[in-house]
Amino acid sequence: MKTLILGFDSFDAAVFEEMAGKNQLPNFEKFIQQSGYSRLEVCSPPQTEVSWTSIATGADPGGHGIFDFVHRDPVTYTPYVSILPMRKSALGEQFVPPYTAKTLFEEAADLGYPATALWWPAMFPARPDVPVNTLPGLGTPDIRGQLGVGALFSTEDETRKKTRLTKLVSAGKDRFTAALEGPQTQSRSGPQTISLPIIVDVIDGKTARLFVDKQQVDLRLGEWSDIVELRFKAGMLFNVHAITRFIATSLGRVVRLYCLPLQIHPLHSTWHYASSNSFSKKLWKEVGPYLTLGWPQDTTGLEEGCISDDQFLDLCQKIFDRRIQILSFLLNDFREGVLASIFDDLDRIQHMFFHDRMDVVQGWYKRLDQFVGQVNKRLETWSSKYRYLILSDHGFSDFRNKVHLNRWLLENDFLRMQNGGNDLGSVDWTNTRAYAVGLNSIYLNVSGREGQGIVQADELEGLLTSIREKLLGWKDASGDSVIQRIRPKHEVYSGPYTRFGPDLVVGYASGYRASADTGLGKIPAISMEPNTDHWGADHCMDSDVVPGVIFANRDLSDFGTISFRDIPFLAIGKHLDQSNLKPPSQAAGEGQKELEERLKGLGYL
Amino acid sequence: VNKLFSGFGKKPGLRRPIIVVSGLPRSGTSMMMKILAEGGLPVVVDQSRTADEDNPNGYFELELVKRMSDGHIEWLANASGKVVKVISGLLEHLPQEYSYKVIFMEREINEILASQRKMLAHRNEELKSNDVEIEQQFQRHLSALKPWLARRPNMEVLYVSYNAFMANPELLCRRLIEFTDIPLDLGRMLSVPNRDLYRNRTSRT
Repeated sequence: MKTLILGFDSFDAAVFEEMAGKNQLPNFEKFIQQSGYSRLEVCSPPQTEVSWTSIATGADPGGHGIFDFVHRDPVTYTPYVSILPMRKSALGEQFVPPYTAKTLFEEAADLGYPATALWWPAMFPARPDVPVNTLPGLGTPDIRGQLGVGALFSTEDETRKKTRLTKLVSAGKDRFTAALEGPQTQSRSGPQTISLPIIVDVIDGKTARLFVDKQQVDLRLGEWSDIVELRFKAGMLFNVHAITRFIATSLGRVVRLYCLPLQIHPLHSTWHYASSNSFSKKLWKEVGPYLTLGWPQDTTGLEEGCISDDQFLDLCQKIFDRRIQILSFLLNDFREGVLASIFDDLDRIQHMFFHDRMDVVQGWYKRLDQFVGQVNKRLETWSSKYRYLILSDHGFSDFRNKVHLNRWLLENDFLRMQNGGNDLGSVDWTNTRAYAVGLNSIYLNVSGREGQGIVQADELEGLLTSIREKLLGWKDASGDSVIQRIRPKHEVYSGPYTRFGPDLVVGYASGYRASADTGLGKIPAISMEPNTDHWGADHCMDSDVVPGVIFANRDLSDFGTISFRDIPFLAIGKHLDQSNLKPPSQAAGEGQKELEERLKGLGYL
Repeated sequence: VNKLFSGFGKKPGLRRPIIVVSGLPRSGTSMMMKILAEGGLPVVVDQSRTADEDNPNGYFELELVKRMSDGHIEWLANASGKVVKVISGLLEHLPQEYSYKVIFMEREINEILASQRKMLAHRNEELKSNDVEIEQQFQRHLSALKPWLARRPNMEVLYVSYNAFMANPELLCRRLIEFTDIPLDLGRMLSVPNRDLYRNRTSRT
């Protein structure tokens, strides 16, 4: 077995097909010529962590248990990030793997082959018991154990919604000081933030010198520093190591310095960052430093104006280049097994530019095409039979309107509020029948399951139907449907975790998506508002709106519709979940009897 | 520990694949069996159905194939490296523990239906479905079968067009040799395709 998988997060079928029609992506187009291209049916909901996990396991969320970026505790209704679950133990709170379903990588390892998954979502924390080499992707936290926000240092008094702001204090001519806040530790007086002092010397309008943790970092205006290694002293014998990049974004009258979220240092991680430790260390030492955050392309920094479009794109390019170098390094010694690598810059770029800068987006498709051309060339030297897959977890679409689903539920009398408040903490549960948490999920307030559930078993079907019908009838001011499809979980999911899933899976029409507020269970004042954010496109809609793609070095034409369930088979020749494979006599539908009569008449049965 | 011992768990294919000739009835499966037999491939057959007006060269069938759904699969243990005819409707009964190379015959559906009509008449069987209905059912059957075949980890499939085969037998015989990975006798294989037996064509090729 020898399989190479390249995962291009959010590679959109329609964009590809349009560009391929103009011969703009020659290396991808070669797959079309060899019948090795197909649209890919992605799982519901088409969210990155859900979809890549479904691809790795060949199972829908009912089989692996990740249903949405945000889940909720049914007893307390509290939302939590599904891919970063924690468990309390004698050693304190620990991250635990978000799922345990068998992946194609584990299956390959069980068959005795080496397996490597690079930047695959939902693979943090690493599982030392599983013999798969991993560098985790989406879901890998910063050193505070959170999904990560950067820090802005400025000589001005500024405000940002999410980014942490620190004032640069003058300490002499063209010298400024501040404290870089690091991790928190527990002390007798409560949680304490450990900081590192920083000094910024502005040399001229285009260069500055940063002193941090006994290091000097030379900065050029608008250019990212190399990756800087930092050490926060958390006690006599305990240090927390971190990595980041700095960028000076203004060195004139106003001095501004931005720092990426502080990220896990792979050589000194206090958590199981990668598997194995020696694997991540080897890559760091032999290829070079790499960012570790699950979402290293700092869209929040861009959204909040801390960095410019060009600086954001430059950061994406740097991440892309280093990942290519790491993959290339591993390809040097790749003799057998499975080697997979996810490249997710396109996803971040489309979130920020798909709605108004298609030139940027298409430029990135061309970059991926060139990269594929380089890989293809390398594969020409492989002598033995091998499998080669390039795929995406979903496509992309406009996100023109933010849907506040809980407000809609309230307006339609499925949810009631107590006086005041705008989140689930203010809901009158004794009169609430349904609520939304996550980007594609509605839960019923079921008696015996939810902490203050009121919906009885015999009311479930009627209530589901009622919500479905009303939501499908929801039109915006221009008469367009807001919802494309809405299905109860038993129609979408199969597998042991199905009962934990949302009661309704909401598939938004193109142009609409649940607001971030809805994701967290909030209830703003209106049910829909125009999206004016830089983040102007998305994929958390109906799965049919955003199909993925698959390219393969084999003929795909006989497969019919190819879905995420087929990926383990296409990758390692084995189905991990056979529940959806029906024999032809069952799949062909009506007419089977007449067919058998004919065959009997001919003497073949 | 698992990593240390990686490589020890690999299971090489212990048996050679079974060659299966398949397709809709009257799609050229018997002709393909004859070609492979002439080429030197051992055939798994019995004498339950002998040559007749519809198949002057014989049917090359094994009666037990029809009984696989009842669990009669023991004969497969001796079929590795040999060829057996299994019509498309019975492929799903082939047990998973063997690997197969399936040569799937495809032919113009109108030719298949015409040939079946004649055969039913010779067998004094009445036509219970009209051609339009049965064509739809065959198409439905094929559109369910092909994706299923593509997803079989133990089946490798070569689709062979009967019509293209009759037009250029040598090219396709060479492809058969490559696919089966068995050094068959090309000259003898080429002696089989008989344009005189190509009787139900829809148009001259």
